[in-house]
Amino acid sequence: MSIRAALLIQRWYRQYAARLEMRRRCTWKIFQSIEYAGEQDQIKLYTFFGFLMDHFTPASSERNLISHIFRKNEFCHDTEWERYFCYKSIEVTDSYTGPHLTFPMTFCGVSKLVEAFKHKQQLHARYVLQLLGETWRLLRIFPNISQISAYHNKQITICGDLHGQLEDLLLIFYKNGLPSSEKPYVFNGDFVDRGKNSLEILLILFGFLLVYPNDVHLNRGNHEDHIVNLRYGFTKEVLGKYRVHGKKILKLLQKIFSWLPLATVIDNKVLIVHGGISDKTDLDAIARVDRHKYGSALTPPKPTKHAVNGSKTQTINNREACGPVEGRRRVCSLTYCSSGPAHRHDLPRRSLHNAHISSQLNWSLEKELKKRRRLAGFDQSYRELRTSDSDPESGETTETDVGEWKQIVDVLWSDPMAQNGCIPNEVRGGGCYWGPDVTEEVLGRHNLQLLIRSHECKQDGYEFCHNRRVLTIFSASNYYEVGSNRGAYIRMGPDLVPHFIQYQASRTCRELTLRQSVGWTERSALRALREQLFVHKSDLISAFQEFDPNNKGMISLRHWASATERVLNLGLPWRLLRPQHVSSTQCGMVDYQQWIRELSITEPKQEISDNSILETMYKNHSNLETIFRIIDTDHSGLISFEEFRQTWKLLSSHLQTEISDKAIADLAQSIDFNKDGVIDINEFMEAFRLVDISAHT
Amino acid sequence: MAPKKVELKKEAVKMSPEPETAKEPDFDPQSIKIEFSTDQIEEFKEAFQLFDRTAENQKKILFSQCGDVMRALGQNPTNAEVLRVLGRPRPEDMDSKLVDFETFLPMLQHVAQSRDKGTYEDFVEGLRVFDKEGNGSVMGAELRHVLVTLGERMTEGEVDNLLAGQEDANGCINYEAFVKHIMAG
Repeated sequence: MSIRAALLIQRWYRQYAARLEMRRRCTWKIFQSIEYAGEQDQIKLYTFFGFLMDHFTPASSERNLISHIFRKNEFCHDTEWERYFCYKSIEVTDSYTGPHLTFPMTFCGVSKLVEAFKHKQQLHARYVLQLLGETWRLLRIFPNISQISAYHNKQITICGDLHGQLEDLLLIFYKNGLPSSEKPYVFNGDFVDRGKNSLEILLILFGFLLVYPNDVHLNRGNHEDHIVNLRYGFTKEVLGKYRVHGKKILKLLQKIFSWLPLATVIDNKVLIVHGGISDKTDLDAIARVDRHKYGSALTPPKPTKHAVNGSKTQTINNREACGPVEGRRRVCSLTYCSSGPAHRHDLPRRSLHNAHISSQLNWSLEKELKKRRRLAGFDQSYRELRTSDSDPESGETTETDVGEWKQIVDVLWSDPMAQNGCIPNEVRGGGCYWGPDVTEEVLGRHNLQLLIRSHECKQDGYEFCHNRRVLTIFSASNYYEVGSNRGAYIRMGPDLVPHFIQYQASRTCRELTLRQSVGWTERSALRALREQLFVHKSDLISAFQEFDPNNKGMISLRHWASATERVLNLGLPWRLLRPQHVSSTQCGMVDYQQWIRELSITEPKQEISDNSILETMYKNHSNLETIFRIIDTDHSGLISFEEFRQTWKLLSSHLQTEISDKAIADLAQSIDFNKDGVIDINEFMEAFRLVDISAHT
Repeated sequence: MAPKKVELKKEAVKMSPEPETAKEPDFDPQSIKIEFSTDQIEEFKEAFQLFDRTAENQKKILFSQCGDVMRALGQNPTNAEVLRVLGRPRPEDMDSKLVDFETFLPMLQHVAQSRDKGTYEDFVEGLRVFDKEGNGSVMGAELRHVLVTLGERMTEGEVDNLLAGQEDANGCINYEAFVKHIMAG
């Protein structure tokens, strides 16, 4: 009797656990798809900027808005930079209650810093600049690839992404001990963005680096990139914490990021890089590059040499040199030192991926831009763009630079896949997907036995793949949401066998049962998904109506699922998610109008006459914010109405949609713009953030 | 979230028979007629792919995952039943051999047609066995012991998951509420 009862309970438990597991996987997929779609979005935006840079006249206001992110550095010599970054004139007043640092940095000094941050103190700007200055000087003498050893019974600790989550770093130090000569550490990139203590993490890591330069090793991640930071929160964090000196701090960090080493190798056997590899990965090539030339992995390098002026281009130069530049479409940019030769076939390089796809994009974008510029009155006269004139000399130079750049992008952005081969990473928009055959080939070629990388969030904090030859380590716990995943770090001794320690930072989530934590994360994911559905409202309705020619308001489940996937393009299991979203189905049919109404998202209270601009804004929330921050060159957090208008023009070019001046003016008015002529970026973005009312029930 | 449950004819309420013995005939996938609707099959496919950890688009799961996927889809076979529809594989095959969706579907159909699924009443009856005082509650500690030592044994961790938040200050579990909680999961 008891046995039968036990069996019954056990099988029911197993069903319960399996259903929970399925919910958890669904939730994970939602978060991950939305995250990667955001990254892809950003790459598209920067591809667009790159295109703008190549094909607009230098005087065009659009180009001016963004040209500074491509501009070569204002100062040429490091000595001039040193003067600019000098901290000495910054006074520490008596009212400052944070930690005081002395240099050279000592173990006591860094420990003090850790304690201070634990107690939520902020380091004075003077000390920040001083610490960063020392770090910059130190990093410049490091090679691209750090070589370390686990001999002499040293256990090496390897950590993955931290993403500004200070609690996780503190937890690691608590469990594992602080870095020292006896306790070497490798931090594998993505220290910043998303979390709210990115700067504190950097200061701690750099502090330990200064004290133990031979025992603390930092690898660059794809988020150690000032352009990525504009979108993912680090720029905002620094400017918020340091209103006066933030801009300087950011500039210094930009340099530091470009000087971070790209890889670490343990005993010539274990390779550690942030993203991964490609079939072209060559450590010797990586060791030789001038890594600091690549400030942002998102923008391909400009060719370093100027090409010889061919006869075809000579006349253009003359004409351009003689007359006014405004209103003239630039045919090729030989005349402009900052950009170097740029040809029509440059665009494929800019887009990071397949040439043929980009040239199609190129053509239609071309037409749109022409039309747009004509409408906007930017061009007084313009001529047809030349078809490609390849200049062999500049082509050669360019190829080497681009080859080097690709080595770096691959190492920072790639992800492993299960099938053999090596294909562009369309999901992220940069780097590639590499297969087990590539792992074997690259590891074999370099005589390595293991590749350790990070870059992807893992449920248990770590995961093997490719026959245990590739190991992903991720150290930001609760990354998507409280309870979503554990973080982990690796301890590795002379035998080079990895041992894992897992943790979860939040006290609240440790007290939740598995079911509660799955439920919590799931609710959060569904909220995020509802927002995505809401912002694509009109596209969804159009797609549904294609399947409902008689306008009955109902479509089949199958059509509902395929239309939703087509619009959102997130690769989600819509049928499984349906019960969470669609309350009513009758005989397998979905009342889609009602479904859209039931999405229960409130719009902000602003009265806007033009609905389409609102929807554009919701869909492009992040893009908009990114553009704002780029335009805000003095990092004041404020932009003028004219800059606001230019932002929208830029965005509309990128999206290839029309946004009327009247709509923009309405928008500006609705936030009381005209009172003082400037708008606070943060306030604006907050005012138009979507609020899910179910979050408040 | 409640998965789609497959409609079945109503069965008489009774306790499940003894676990299947080796005398049962081998599972023959060819003999199974698929009675699921297209919509159901599409949904099963989605769930199947969710558990696919092997590849992008390889669309296969491990033998060891089959039971879980069936359960995630609303069935609750015993481990023995799962092994039977898998063709009684060797233990070392469980974590290495793969199943694609076409092979999986007849297995799922067969399990769905099983007559001894166990209803709410069965479940409550099962727990009543441990209700020594006849007062609607069982001792958590006793239940723990039984689940870990009898039948298709659970681990301590699994039992902790199961009983989380269910025991009162005296370590007692009101089993009707408990059953509702499990079945709602």
